[in-house]
Amino acid sequence: MSHPAPDPAPGAGTGRASVPATGSTGSTGAQVDAARAAASGPVPPTTGEPLLQIRGLKKHFPLTQGILFKRTVGQVRAVDGVDLTLGRGETLGLVGESGCGKSTVSKLLVALERPTGGQILYKGEDVAKMGGRALKQYRREVQIIFQDPYASLNPRMTAGDIVAEGWSVHADVAPRKGRLQRTQELLERVGLNPDYVNRYPHQFSGGQRQRIGIARALALQPEVIVCDEPVSALDVSVQAQVVNLLEDLQEEIGLSYLFIAHDLSVVRHISDRVAVMYLGSIVEEGTDAQVYGQPSHPYTQALLSSVPLHEPRLRGQKDRILLTGDVPSPADPPSGCRFRTRCWKAQDVCATEAPALVDRGQGHPSACHFAEARQVVPVES
Amino acid sequence: MTTDITAPTTRTAPLAPLLEVDDLHVEFRTRSGVVNAVNGISYTVAEGETLAVLGESGSGKSVSAQAIMGILDSPPAVITGGGIRFQGRDLLTLSEEEQRKVRGPGISMIFQDALSSLNPVYSVGFQIGEMFRAHRGASKKEARAKAVELMDRVRIPAAARRVDDYPHQFSGGMRQRVMIAMALALDPRVLIADEPTTALDVTVQAQVMDLLKDLQRETGMGLVLITHDLGVVNEVADRVAVMYAGRIVERGTVDDVFSNPAMPYTEGLMNSIPQVESKGARLQPITGQPPNLADIPKGCPFHPRCPRRRTGAQAAPGRDCATDLPLLRVVVPGREAACHYSEEVLDVAPSA
Repeated sequence: MSHPAPDPAPGAGTGRASVPATGSTGSTGAQVDAARAAASGPVPPTTGEPLLQIRGLKKHFPLTQGILFKRTVGQVRAVDGVDLTLGRGETLGLVGESGCGKSTVSKLLVALERPTGGQILYKGEDVAKMGGRALKQYRREVQIIFQDPYASLNPRMTAGDIVAEGWSVHADVAPRKGRLQRTQELLERVGLNPDYVNRYPHQFSGGQRQRIGIARALALQPEVIVCDEPVSALDVSVQAQVVNLLEDLQEEIGLSYLFIAHDLSVVRHISDRVAVMYLGSIVEEGTDAQVYGQPSHPYTQALLSSVPLHEPRLRGQKDRILLTGDVPSPADPPSGCRFRTRCWKAQDVCATEAPALVDRGQGHPSACHFAEARQVVPVES
Repeated sequence: MTTDITAPTTRTAPLAPLLEVDDLHVEFRTRSGVVNAVNGISYTVAEGETLAVLGESGSGKSVSAQAIMGILDSPPAVITGGGIRFQGRDLLTLSEEEQRKVRGPGISMIFQDALSSLNPVYSVGFQIGEMFRAHRGASKKEARAKAVELMDRVRIPAAARRVDDYPHQFSGGMRQRVMIAMALALDPRVLIADEPTTALDVTVQAQVMDLLKDLQRETGMGLVLITHDLGVVNEVADRVAVMYAGRIVERGTVDDVFSNPAMPYTEGLMNSIPQVESKGARLQPITGQPPNLADIPKGCPFHPRCPRRRTGAQAAPGRDCATDLPLLRVVVPGREAACHYSEEVLDVAPSA
């Protein structure tokens, strides 16, 4: 790896171009190719090379008892064997209900949590084995936007300081001199008045705050942005503005998104591929048309059938699948298939054998022993 | 149209209204100025009917419901005009004690956040039974038995065993059921549901909405459903009132309003929301932000965001969107909208 350039003179103004030129990724080039070749097996058709690969990712949180001498009495299996692949320039949607572990996946991805097991491969390199500079580089290239724009911005910092804060760690991204101008460019890019650099978060509306969060992520010239419920706290008329902004940025800069949300309609709209998560693992994965048009896992079917439709003429035209009961506790998940306690198809085998996430003839992987495509939502002509 | 009972309209219920809100005005008098939260809204709810009040946060939909229930924080909130009639009696002219006696068994309300609406230090059975003790003079034992009965009715499994449990021991969906049980205890004629499923996951939301529909069918109560979710409105409601900046800007049957909106705001909402049944083209967002209720734009409150606004020379006389406030008016029979140019909106929008 070459020396870091504390004051990268060439191409400083337009920071984007200067990043690949620093050469810090040079030594990993061969590994990327190797990983790409190794992963060419069952990788679903993506719109580019796999940028991020998650293999058997696990995160268990210990349940402790006692005050002074904490004994571990159990494990909350928040994420329990997740496989995902994110291609360059692609949007992967991750849907699931609250408590299914989707936010833990996002925290693991941006290295805010250490995985209990499994691997996150970024450009072919295992993030867990990264140290020092490589990890720093990874953290810069994989950014996150949080759900709650009210809680995720420091109320004592101005919008400009929030956007520029990352540069105090990653100083090579923006030269010290032009930072104010660069901040204003970023604000303008996300649709905010550049004169607002000195305003505080409380002076902005929810949608505007989310734009600040996006500008903060963009400031570090990321390759991947993990969007953890980026629009669910916003008013309906403002959601579309932020969704469109994310789409525009992707087109312009070629970002990859992992878009995590519980709103199935928004996820379908923005995603190239969609993964459905239930109780810590992926139950179905495919393109938006496969997962929404031909869902083959009973949970996906139930989830889709619960979404209220907006069109009066489609009212009553979808299958009604009402699940009974609640999601089991991730501290004590059911044996075998996680969904079997609420599944109408469950048989003895479901209690003993966990179904693998493989294609069972539906054209896309589904983790159900009895996977069967079924159209739940009426298809609009 | 107003009294045409013989018309075979299945999704409109032209029965005598149970609850009538008439030109209601509510303002908040704060130190930093007056916030006009509700600026003259009127609606009616009949027996067995579901009226959806659709609006974004800050549109005044919850404040109007709180005014009906008499649970506004006053001060700062003040009802500055209008009437609220329940079965013909104007609640606002009654004394507080009389209001309580009418509302208690007549109108009840459920809230978005069940956990903070329930008292954490009393068992759910005690809280449900409280209705019977307060309004019917039931003994503790009778009240507890009634509570079990109600918990069964809202399909809480093993009600007899769970009656002494505390709110934190229930899941989100079950807590919402507890609150529904409490609301239904005295067989209200009108139930106001303020974002009842917003905090719930979709699969649980479907369960709770199903339960509410079933209970409505059993009891014939009127339901006021306050929500921002267009899908929920479409699946559950008969009629819809769309609110913006403290006013009703469009009103009609769900079928009419959703398949062919007459107000640019409603139209904008429909275009800005992705649908689960198709990937859809690029979203067409409504530009700008919802207005600050302390400083509502002059003229039509929606005009700064409206793609169809006509101001100055473009506007017809007396119909300048920037200066003339459009009132809710009948556009075509059965359709009301507060827009100077609703006829155009109706024509232009493609019919389903």
